[in-house]
Amino acid sequence: METVVSLQNVSFAYQGTPVLKEISFDIKQGEFIGIIGPNGGGKTTLLKLILGFLKPSSGKISIFGKYPSSTQTDSICRISYVPQSLRFDKQFPISVLELVLGGRLSHLPWYGRFSHADKLAALEALDRVGMVDFHHRAFGNLSGGQAQRALIARALASNPNLLLLDEPTASVDAQAELDIYNILKKLQGNMTIVMVTHNLQAAIELVEKVICVQNTAVILNPQQVCEHFAFGLYHPKLLNSPPKMKS
Amino acid sequence: MISFFEALRYNPLLLSALIAGLASSVVSGIIGSYVVVKRIVFICGSISHSVLSGIGFCLWLERAKGISWITPLQGALATGIISALLIGWIHLYYREREDSVIAALWSVGMAVGILFISQTPGFNVELTNFLIGNILWVTPHDLYILFALDLFILICVFCLHHRFLALCFDEEQAQLQGVPVNMLYLFLLVLTAVSIVLLIQVVGIILVMTMLTIPAAIANLFTTRLSRVMLIAVLLSCFFCFSGMALAYHFDWPGGATIALVAGFVYIATLPSKKSF
Repeated sequence: METVVSLQNVSFAYQGTPVLKEISFDIKQGEFIGIIGPNGGGKTTLLKLILGFLKPSSGKISIFGKYPSSTQTDSICRISYVPQSLRFDKQFPISVLELVLGGRLSHLPWYGRFSHADKLAALEALDRVGMVDFHHRAFGNLSGGQAQRALIARALASNPNLLLLDEPTASVDAQAELDIYNILKKLQGNMTIVMVTHNLQAAIELVEKVICVQNTAVILNPQQVCEHFAFGLYHPKLLNSPPKMKS
Repeated sequence: MISFFEALRYNPLLLSALIAGLASSVVSGIIGSYVVVKRIVFICGSISHSVLSGIGFCLWLERAKGISWITPLQGALATGIISALLIGWIHLYYREREDSVIAALWSVGMAVGILFISQTPGFNVELTNFLIGNILWVTPHDLYILFALDLFILICVFCLHHRFLALCFDEEQAQLQGVPVNMLYLFLLVLTAVSIVLLIQVVGIILVMTMLTIPAAIANLFTTRLSRVMLIAVLLSCFFCFSGMALAYHFDWPGGATIALVAGFVYIATLPSKKSF
């Protein structure tokens, strides 16, 4: 299977403070990966390194065999990112359709008008997350779960090969969480998915591999996460033990 | 009020002032909407104040050194664009102390302007014109420049609106989609600087923030689409210019200050309606 994301001895420091140390792992095409770890452990940093928003202090990251750059235009390695909906300004005047069209910006011609095909693609993406009836609504007026689904639709609108999600179920109710997991389940296999999550149960049920990030990264199978849980999460003894790869 | 309409018919100076006001309303509504939603109001304040250095320098060249082809408008435009690029560069590469640097540019720009104007013999009264505005000071030649800049900004915004929207809402997403966000950010600041120069003609440096922020801030209370915010902001801005000038004419008040007061009053009056949205 083709390697989609490859990290080799990647370290990262924020102004001298090391956040990630010597991380190496590969993500294969079509895999569903969960990233778990304590707050401040470097989960979001890891995601931003993969996206190319941050440059590693040392080590190498390659995406589809290429190195991510700030001007990612290559259509072969389409990456989409679903940020947390909480990050956005509720007052910002933008409709759901306008938001999702943001996933079609790479198709925008120089004169800046979206084609009919782009609008259809945006509506189709909204349909996939069950939000097509909301396309005229203001993004700021959506509930947490709806906003998160709209952001997933924006990511899907660009037909990604690699989908990265930053805690998509943070601050949504139980039903919305279930809806989001159902959407991701349907996508599973069609694209490579990397999801940062706090929800261990989701990590066990949905994903094929778990990357536990706490300054270093340990790759586990979902079953091993249960074992961790019994010992208390992020048990130093277990984290330091060499991972047993069953797959 | 009737006297204001009559005066418009008989006084070409007043008419061209009104046309200048309405022409700058178009850009203030559009660019102001980006400024408000991108939250770069403070940056705009710095650009508008540092423009005084260019105005002062050109006045000094024109009046004290006798270089007749130089006008304050050219100086304002040049320094506006230079300071926009400088601030943009600071924002992109020196984010830690961004606000301090912007404030420094703000005051140093003004200081340079005041210095040059003080060295320009007999024209200190012009300082007041630039600071608080004197719309009657607009010449027919300035009007043509205003229209040309209006057209330029409209074309740019027409072609770049979706990209600007993405830039304002979510820079990271725009970057992933291959939008050159840094270039676009600098360009937005340059367009803002050009609009600021247009607005300085109408309300002056101190009051320029009124025209750039209040119409868009009011419009944002009533709609949830950026394009509609722009449309409402343009209409509001025209209304403020027109009613402000009429009031100023009627009571013999300074035009720029009256326009700003009308805008501020309407903003305060509409704020309570925010709760219903």
